[in-house]
Amino acid sequence: MAGRQLLMNFPVTANSHTLAEYRARGGYTAIAKALREMKPQQITQEVVAAGLQGRGGASFPTGRKWQVVVPGDGQPHYLIANADEGEPGTFKDRWILENAPHLLVEGMLLTAYALDARHCFIYIRGEFDLPYRRIAGAVEEAYAARWLGEQIAGSGFSCDLIVYRGAGAYVAGEASGLISSLEGKKGYPRNRPPRLTVRGLYQRPTVVNNVESLANVTGIIRDGAAAFRAVGTEKSPGTRLISVSGHVNRPGVYEVELGFPWRRFIDEDCGGVLGGRAIKAVVPGGISSKVLTGAEIALLALSHEALWDVNSTLGSGGMIVIAEGTCMVHLLQIMLRFYHHESCGQCTPCRHGTGWMHRIVDRIVAGEGRPEDIERLYYVAKYNDGTTICGLGDAAGFAAAGILDKFRDEFEYCIEHKRSRYEGRIECLRS
Amino acid sequence: MPEILINGQKFEAEAGQTVLEAARAAGIFVPTFCWHPQLSTAGNCRMCLVEVEGRGLDIACNMPVSAGMRVLTDSPEVRAHRRAILQFITLNHPVDCGICDKAGECSLQDYHYAYNGEASISAEPKVRSTKYYNLSSRILLDNERCILCLRCTRFTHEISKSMALGVESRGDVSVIRPVADRPLGDDPYSDNIVDLCPVGALQSRQFLHKTRVWYLEPTPSVCPGCARGCSVNIWHRKPEWHVKTLDPAQNQSIARVTPLENPAVNGPWICNKGRDLARIFERRRATEPMLQGSPVALETALERARELIGAARHPLALVSNWGSNEELDAFQRSLGAVFTAYVKSDSVPQPGERLEDELLIRADKNPNSAAARALYADAPARLPEGTDLVLVWGEGCDFGALPRGARLIFLNAYLAPENGHADVFLPTSVQTERDGHYTNFQGVISGFHACFAKPSGALDAEALFRSLAAPARVHA
Repeated sequence: MAGRQLLMNFPVTANSHTLAEYRARGGYTAIAKALREMKPQQITQEVVAAGLQGRGGASFPTGRKWQVVVPGDGQPHYLIANADEGEPGTFKDRWILENAPHLLVEGMLLTAYALDARHCFIYIRGEFDLPYRRIAGAVEEAYAARWLGEQIAGSGFSCDLIVYRGAGAYVAGEASGLISSLEGKKGYPRNRPPRLTVRGLYQRPTVVNNVESLANVTGIIRDGAAAFRAVGTEKSPGTRLISVSGHVNRPGVYEVELGFPWRRFIDEDCGGVLGGRAIKAVVPGGISSKVLTGAEIALLALSHEALWDVNSTLGSGGMIVIAEGTCMVHLLQIMLRFYHHESCGQCTPCRHGTGWMHRIVDRIVAGEGRPEDIERLYYVAKYNDGTTICGLGDAAGFAAAGILDKFRDEFEYCIEHKRSRYEGRIECLRS
Repeated sequence: MPEILINGQKFEAEAGQTVLEAARAAGIFVPTFCWHPQLSTAGNCRMCLVEVEGRGLDIACNMPVSAGMRVLTDSPEVRAHRRAILQFITLNHPVDCGICDKAGECSLQDYHYAYNGEASISAEPKVRSTKYYNLSSRILLDNERCILCLRCTRFTHEISKSMALGVESRGDVSVIRPVADRPLGDDPYSDNIVDLCPVGALQSRQFLHKTRVWYLEPTPSVCPGCARGCSVNIWHRKPEWHVKTLDPAQNQSIARVTPLENPAVNGPWICNKGRDLARIFERRRATEPMLQGSPVALETALERARELIGAARHPLALVSNWGSNEELDAFQRSLGAVFTAYVKSDSVPQPGERLEDELLIRADKNPNSAAARALYADAPARLPEGTDLVLVWGEGCDFGALPRGARLIFLNAYLAPENGHADVFLPTSVQTERDGHYTNFQGVISGFHACFAKPSGALDAEALFRSLAAPARVHA
């Protein structure tokens, strides 16, 4: 086990997701305590004190996001759980939705109480089937047990929770694109200012938090900020759910205490690399985070600050382990195909830049690369960065520049010899 | 009043302004495609990227001014990014300026020469899309030229409220498409999107491949389509580009009509009827004075008219509400004491025409009713019996309702069967052939100017009225 656990601290069984079992594990005591003893501001203060960082990708301090919303300022506030987990390589929120849906519901209740939000939404991606049934079932159970609805637990606090299924667009996972989609519009992200916490859903202050962030709120209120801070590192308190895929023996979702040695996590928890090969590269947190080489991660800890130091990020916690012998040109082609396909097309640089990069790499893979192609890819990546409406536009550039920076020789080889050095291998068969 | 620095110069901005507005107010041009002062901010073209010292690049159109901010609109970083944005925009744009109606007044062309100046650095094949997509009987869409600024969709949502356009699909295959069950053809303001389009994606079918815009010049005018009296530009060939062979009629015809921004009346918009002024003014014209259908010399016709006026005991006049303020004034001064005058409506709503709405269109389909009614009452349904002479000025007269036995003097600009039934017929000029003013329903007076010479034989009504009052010589 990769350190202490805060979320996956119970055995998963056929019924472990139900209300009865969740109650038996101490569920809904945090919200009961909060409604009895705490003021909304105290909850926000507790989360600020816990130093919880957003688990969706940007790692923005969750409590500081909430502080922008003023409870009781005479207008409706909204809370949205972002369960549109679309970043390639990421499937950790799915674990919570499937196995601990009430943890999310309770976390949302606490957050809604802190934010003075009467209505909450869970925006879940359309492809999720079992997670949707589990969370919808949990919401139904919670309503039946009066943990949702009017005057919860005899207090004056009322809260409704609506589960909304998206249609599977990557961009709807961006907070403002999600809101556009929830409003029934095309999932176009919005320009800031105004921030969503000032004018979000239906032009009202709205907090959009990742599923895992909200699930962590339950523990923070139940056990206190100090207990949360005791886990993890000084700058990255708590744990992260990491979804591991790629060339490892045991892919899956793991809870990792922040600060845990990376190599040990891969070797022990994930059962090491397939066929005992060397690690060529690791995508640390979804393909939008900059790729790291095997050498770079050798002595690295899994924490936000350690990743920032090497100019990457833990992002959405979607880790892809890439073994030696994999063709990085082909890998970038796959990534760019995704960005090209998923670009919403609203703003110019991403609409054209993603397709441009994709077509260039397609050509290189097809053996028709030209010497100026690498420079051209850098050009597109550079001018995609910081010029788009949302962060997902930048991400395509990051991904491309990240791989080019570290594996430029493979691209040069492919352009010069008209074929991949690794014969375009992506699969790594067990040997 | 926050004070901001743009390119090192201090300016007083207004609170609530964006950096783009503040810069433009200060006379500093920041290029934009998607931004339009009358539409909501979309911020999607990214052309207006500016640098704020200490904060990096962001779009000026969505950046509120704050005191002391230091904005750079022309730093090396901004210039490099503008070049890149133009590279992105032209990546899949066909650059078919040679056959594009927008060429010459296209933002993309202008910005390309101003900020980029180099050909596309891409070697990839361009994304192909629909050409000549039929949006309505008036508008064609070229999706390859479209830069998805969404001005047209925002116009139909925010201004004309027809909600007729939306975006289909995503990424670089996104296309503007009509919304099901909301045909753009039902939007009486649809042609504004052709002007709004910063490139040549939306094309007017009327104007399609008709002429290059640099052969044209605009003459400020007023739309006579309804009592709103929208300010318009009537575009026609420049004198130096008059064609001498082939089809000289082109020199005398309206190439297109566009709105002339007038905040007091129509803002930057006009309705489709205003685009179709050629249908009004380019009907077949009457050019010969006639006595009971027989062409005569002008002096003969005038002499006969004066005789009739002198002999009449109960003369009555139906005054045109398409007459300009000057013409109405000339009638009143010259003949007002002789005739009992009423206002006649030259034009009534046509079947299918929108009667009235909250944006521009008025139910009164005549341009100068306000000025005419200030002088005379509306014509009664039954004209008084005993009238022995009627002077009818302009169209729209129900000749069957005229008093029996009365003599008829008729002034009209167009060929009509009734011309030949009049005792005296006098051909007149039309609005595009003279200067004048109209007073709209709000009392706002707008002027129009002559675009073309009168056809030989036609006369200004103003001169005719004077000569009918006094036997002075009239010059055509």
